[in-house]
Amino acid sequence: MNEALANYLASSQAQEWSVSLLRGVPGLPPISQAIHIVGVAVIMGTAVMIDLRVLGLAVPSQKLDEMVKRLAPWTWWALVVNVVTGMPYIFAQPYRYLLNPVFGIKMACLVPALLVTFSLYSTLKKSPSFWETSNARQLGAKLLAALSIALWITVIFGGRWIAYSDYIFWNE
Amino acid sequence: MTALWQWLEGLTISQEIGISWWFPFIESVHVVFLTLTFGAILMVDLRLLGLAAMSHPATRMVRELVPWTLIGFAISVPTGLALFITRAEHYANNPAFRIKLLLILLAGINMALFHTRWIKSVETWDQSTPPLPARLTGGISITLWLGVILAGRWTGHLN
Repeated sequence: MNEALANYLASSQAQEWSVSLLRGVPGLPPISQAIHIVGVAVIMGTAVMIDLRVLGLAVPSQKLDEMVKRLAPWTWWALVVNVVTGMPYIFAQPYRYLLNPVFGIKMACLVPALLVTFSLYSTLKKSPSFWETSNARQLGAKLLAALSIALWITVIFGGRWIAYSDYIFWNE
Repeated sequence: MTALWQWLEGLTISQEIGISWWFPFIESVHVVFLTLTFGAILMVDLRLLGLAAMSHPATRMVRELVPWTLIGFAISVPTGLALFITRAEHYANNPAFRIKLLLILLAGINMALFHTRWIKSVETWDQSTPPLPARLTGGISITLWLGVILAGRWTGHLN
């Protein structure tokens, strides 16, 4: 399926546009990659900081539901920015990404990272005490937060290792 | 200086990192913690600018978030150093890398000025928008750290 998608993209107009964008605009690759990293930093400062708050490790004076209301828009905007800054690379070199097992791992962790983050946000928005009504729920929230942090860190590792996939997949 | 860079590059540990999966591993740890650093810095600076988290006292934002910037920075520096020694001479002469170090130095001075001077009057603005010097600190800090990230990414594009 990935190969079919890569084949389709490789012969598409989007591929030509992306290549001419990334090759033609001076400095665009490092600039767009730096913006992508800033997007990751915003996720770390919002989603991961909320996870750390759930775990009782950070910002003890801030209330979780207030944090979610204030920080959630930043998380989703960072996501939009990172899709926009990441897509041209996939369009320009579809085989490099879609056939790369490390890119697959990154995406396979990004989806659950977003789902866990979204479920924490939406439950806290609806009822601030959702995760406090029983010991089991408190533990559940902590497990979700730890899972979220682990997934986001794996996404970052995956993003960085796309360029080094040969180190892990010797025989590919 | 060149002798020092070449000596660093020649160390067993430098060569070991440079030719193995240690390099991307350390680089990934570097990215995890530099993004944590900048995420926390951004929250404090936007509060100083009066643009976000206005329901929280400035001093409490600083007290609760600066430790995270320090943890992030404390891990970003040794991991960055471990990457640097693999090609010390190349990085030392890389203009983007030199600009990055200069910007980090300026950001440090900016932060020191805030913590030794501008924060002294905090009682009068803890619950509201800070006065101009503290707002400037926030704006300058965001600008400098954005520059650090850009120069850092640019370092890898110059060979």
